[in-house]
Amino acid sequence: MTGRTPVRLTVNETDYDVTVEPRRLLADVLREDCNLTGTKLGCEHGVCGSCTVLVDGEGVRSCLMFAVQCAGRDIRTVEGLAAHGRLHAFQQAISTEHGLQCGFCTAGFVMLVVGALEDDPSIAEDPERLDGLLSSNLCRCTGYEGIRRAVLRAYGRNGTHEKDGAEGH
Amino acid sequence: MSDLPPTRAPVQPPVSPPPTFTHVPQGAQSWLLGRREDARLVTGAGRYVGDLKVAGCLDAAFVRSRVAHGRLLAVDTGAAAEIDGVVGVWSAADMGDELPVVPSFTPGSADEERQRPALAVDRVRYVGEPVAVIVGTDRYVAEDGADAVRVDIDPLPVLVDPGQAAASSTWLFDGVDNVADEMEFGEPVDDEVWQRAAVVVEGAYRQPRLAPTPMEPRAILAVPELDGRVTIWVSHQAPHRLQKDLATALQLDVERIRVRVPDSGGAFGSKSGTFPEYLSVVRLALRLGRPVRWIEDRAETLSGATHGRGQNQRVRIAADEDGRMLALALEVDADVGGYPIAGFVAAETGLAAAGPYLTPKVHARVRTVVTNTTPTAPYRGAGRPEQVYAVERTVDLLARRLGMDPAELRRRNFIPPEAFPYEAPTGRRYDSGQYALALDKALELVDYGYWREEQRRRRRSDTERALGIGLCSFAERSGLEQAPMAHEWASLDVTPDGRVVARIGTCSTGQSHETVFPELVAHTLGIPAQCVSLIEGDTDEVVQGIGTFGSRSMQAGGSALHQAALELIEEAKRRAVRMGCAEPDVGYADGTVSAGERSWTLGDLATASPEPLRVEGVYDNAAAFPFGTYVAVVEVDPELGNVRVLRLVAIDDCGVAVDPEIVEDQTIGAIVQGIGQALYEEMPYDNQGTPQADGLLGYLLPTIGELPPLTLDTTVTPNPNTALGAKGAGEAGCIGTPPAIVNAVIDALGQSVAGTDIGGVQLPLTPETCWRAAAGQEVGAR
Amino acid sequence: MKPAPFDYAAPAELTDAVTALAERPETARVLAGGQSLVLDMHYRRERPALLVDINNVRGLDVITVDGHTLRIGALARHRAFETPTVAPAALGRLLSRVSPYIAHPPVRARGTMAGSLAWANPVSEWCATAVALDAGIELTGPLGRRRVPAGDFFVGPFRTARQPAEILTSVLLPLLPGQVGVGFCEQRRTHASFAQVAAVAVLTLRDGVIAEARLGLAGAADRPVRAHDAERHLVGREAEPEVFAQAGELAAAGSDPLAEPHAGVEYRRHVVGVLVRRALAQAREDSNGNYGDEGRDRHEGREAR
Repeated sequence: MTGRTPVRLTVNETDYDVTVEPRRLLADVLREDCNLTGTKLGCEHGVCGSCTVLVDGEGVRSCLMFAVQCAGRDIRTVEGLAAHGRLHAFQQAISTEHGLQCGFCTAGFVMLVVGALEDDPSIAEDPERLDGLLSSNLCRCTGYEGIRRAVLRAYGRNGTHEKDGAEGH
Repeated sequence: MSDLPPTRAPVQPPVSPPPTFTHVPQGAQSWLLGRREDARLVTGAGRYVGDLKVAGCLDAAFVRSRVAHGRLLAVDTGAAAEIDGVVGVWSAADMGDELPVVPSFTPGSADEERQRPALAVDRVRYVGEPVAVIVGTDRYVAEDGADAVRVDIDPLPVLVDPGQAAASSTWLFDGVDNVADEMEFGEPVDDEVWQRAAVVVEGAYRQPRLAPTPMEPRAILAVPELDGRVTIWVSHQAPHRLQKDLATALQLDVERIRVRVPDSGGAFGSKSGTFPEYLSVVRLALRLGRPVRWIEDRAETLSGATHGRGQNQRVRIAADEDGRMLALALEVDADVGGYPIAGFVAAETGLAAAGPYLTPKVHARVRTVVTNTTPTAPYRGAGRPEQVYAVERTVDLLARRLGMDPAELRRRNFIPPEAFPYEAPTGRRYDSGQYALALDKALELVDYGYWREEQRRRRRSDTERALGIGLCSFAERSGLEQAPMAHEWASLDVTPDGRVVARIGTCSTGQSHETVFPELVAHTLGIPAQCVSLIEGDTDEVVQGIGTFGSRSMQAGGSALHQAALELIEEAKRRAVRMGCAEPDVGYADGTVSAGERSWTLGDLATASPEPLRVEGVYDNAAAFPFGTYVAVVEVDPELGNVRVLRLVAIDDCGVAVDPEIVEDQTIGAIVQGIGQALYEEMPYDNQGTPQADGLLGYLLPTIGELPPLTLDTTVTPNPNTALGAKGAGEAGCIGTPPAIVNAVIDALGQSVAGTDIGGVQLPLTPETCWRAAAGQEVGAR
Repeated sequence: MKPAPFDYAAPAELTDAVTALAERPETARVLAGGQSLVLDMHYRRERPALLVDINNVRGLDVITVDGHTLRIGALARHRAFETPTVAPAALGRLLSRVSPYIAHPPVRARGTMAGSLAWANPVSEWCATAVALDAGIELTGPLGRRRVPAGDFFVGPFRTARQPAEILTSVLLPLLPGQVGVGFCEQRRTHASFAQVAAVAVLTLRDGVIAEARLGLAGAADRPVRAHDAERHLVGREAEPEVFAQAGELAAAGSDPLAEPHAGVEYRRHVVGVLVRRALAQAREDSNGNYGDEGRDRHEGREAR
């Protein structure tokens, strides 16, 4: 296919019919065509992680995928996390634990953590795996301590994630 | 030059919408969250410049020089202008008389001989310098345009080191040599002092260039409005200065320009300038009559924005046999890059030369030198980390020479608490300090005795990794000494429903102002925090302001709000007197003025009179001098040169912490940047002046995996010059951390490394550097 | 940092992908995980006119045991190798020890082993693993399928024996018997950085004597290499620290690394020696059934906190 191509993206269970050039990054299409600007672009080469979203449940860099690759896939972004008038347990936790300052990297960290921990909450109990996960993304403000505490608050033993009755356990 | 679009009339209706909060659940009330900012930021509802939707907005991209130094012979924009979607392409020649010149960072100090045009005119002076600008329907198209521009440059000899540049006969600016400025602080030390002293040590250090690297690079959106004004949405620390600079550079009335700072993705000093790209973007938005934005990408920001640090330093200290410091001399060649835009950073290094020590003779000589590299400008610490690093490494050298414990040597030389206010030989006047208290607390928390014993034990063993303990004691400066930069404007308005709207001239780029300032005002007024809201970062709403840099927000802005709140209480009481109460009977508590039986809330008083209940003023808040001691314990794998930080203890004294949690957030963040500086970060250049990192796989920031166990604590020595008592917080972490870690590594590696007076281990302590040092090889000598 | 325009095809059948690629092989690129290719497209260092996306091709994501071989399809993601059960015995242990060093989880969720080999970064962990194990690289082109041994596949930095019209469809790794010991060591600056040097060691011991040794190195040359001199030295000798150190010295002497900022030639060569020695020590421990910490560098340990 050449030139602009129609694509149906399913983001946070809503369908978006967009017509895009093949070269447009998933991140740009989410931000510009779907008006979901919570996903940020911080480096556009896969290192900083500010653009992390879930595609079919897995955290991926939306700057390293093209939107045309994502037709028919289940995409989740930070805008889709809060439900029933309540923040997701990790959104609440990262705030409570001061895991953000400027907030630019926050959506990426939130999706990284939610994607991985909903798949396998035991990561919270293993410091090495948790650091392995969190070292995926960069934050220049917080020094990371608050982000790590937030994971423990939400997903650790007696974590708020369980109390909220959310899925994943 | 491209043709302008057929109509130059402003298109419809570009007024930017206010932030929306559609994704923020009702349940996310701000008081249930860690900070007020967070409701929008954790839900993706924050609005950074790149998130603002304006109909008909165009994207700009820049063509940048790939040659470090050369004569710009031709810029061919023909092919680029043909690309579908490209609206226009401009080189300096195309801009003609409308080409703006970048105003000087500090008013009144313009370097007329070394002017910086918004686009290179006939010479390029660093890789990354803007040469042409393309405006297109989106960033993809604009980059296609940038790709198609052909630039012809005749190379000239390249200078990448300030010492080399100062001595070179190749001049970056015709008619003037490469030394942009020479400054002296204090009196030169007589030769006799050096000759007679029991000990003289000397160290030479290199401060590598650092890329500040906020997660959001620079971003600006210029929106011409229907009423003839222009709204500038920008990620910036000092909107009022930017407003004034834009007016000067573009020859516009200040009133025509509204600068607004929405959510900002971090700055760390690097977003305080008026950048050449900003001038081009605003110029073109006005010329086209259309909104134009420029969202900088990571590749261009690493060499196209500004760098921090970048100094060659030499320090001599003379001491008597008891370790009392007699004289300190500091020489700095500051690499200011292709254009001397921020020489004041290096001036701070000179002014601060004495550090926290009672050295009777201190002299600093600072040269700012242009080179074919990215211009340097403030980056977190801005001059203080450079000074502290040079002096603290040399103090350790002195301790080793004397065979004295480095903690004891420092303790002997501190300015004692009773000596304040203390005027250092460089002319700096320190406000208050208890330097030994911070040192002692740090030693206690790290368990200094234990680690010294552990170090001895390991030295006896052949198999265990070397362990080192490093100290750094510092006194830094927050706020600024020079009026009018020591001032800050604040206002408080009481609405009829009793709410208070605070306005302040600072500008948050992540420092939690929206949480802290309303809390401070509410606390002072004795009313619930939810009743106070904050407006900042909008030149229409805030009539004047200095901005946020130099750790000044709480010290200057917070103090201004505090004083305004105290004045509001007095004003409220005066109103009660005017309503007939006897002055001695009028009291104020918890948002209510009372006199005998009668009482009024602030809201009552606001409605009782047609005259608004408000206070407004410019408040003078002198510079303050926070201090502290950091201790690092490290382990070095001598085989690979890997450094592991086992402990890092930070004792900070920033006076009264208004919100200790927020102060701690700032400290940890700055410490991790300091770890980056010590071990990972550097923008290296090759001999051709090409920066050797164009992404974050080359320029390495610490991840959580690099985070050592941190222990933070404080001492509290109030700011004697404000009622609030707060000194600045925000930069100490990256001031105290690098010398502590480097001193610890040298301590671990032992005498062979320490022995050299000139050269020696240089930042960053890469594995290769440490391996060479451990193997006794010459490292990093200049 | 936006890619230049390109045409895009995402066929569901391998033959269609091969056909699409064959139409203009010199200007087309194959897109699998894309975690390196798309990055380079952002910098416009790569400007394919056509991108042939093979992610929709059926059957390419499988990992199967085929006799004495593990057959890894072109779409098997790095993440699939995180658990030792991905392959029997020592091979599973080796792959699961290497994979955590490849970038980070979001990249491992998309990137593929086959893609890493096709990309041929000289510091790639999978490339070093492939040469250590004498992997077979299966290429499918317009003329059919051919197999190239890993030792012949890598011809320089980011250069391979793959013809422009060929797709790297499978990686074939020999299974390793249980008693074989495996080791892997890597030197990198931060968790977010590429390796400066990495070493893969595979040891077959008989009564404490080395019967077979394989050493694969990343960052020791302009391509992934085996340390043949060191391997020859090891065979027939006892698996002792001194012997490992000698092997390390031989590997270092035989290496010819590229210089890069913060890792000069001399340093990299030195690191080759240290990592070979440590990886061998790890492999010996592994062979003994002790999957202990000996020889692990600081980035693996968690005693830091």
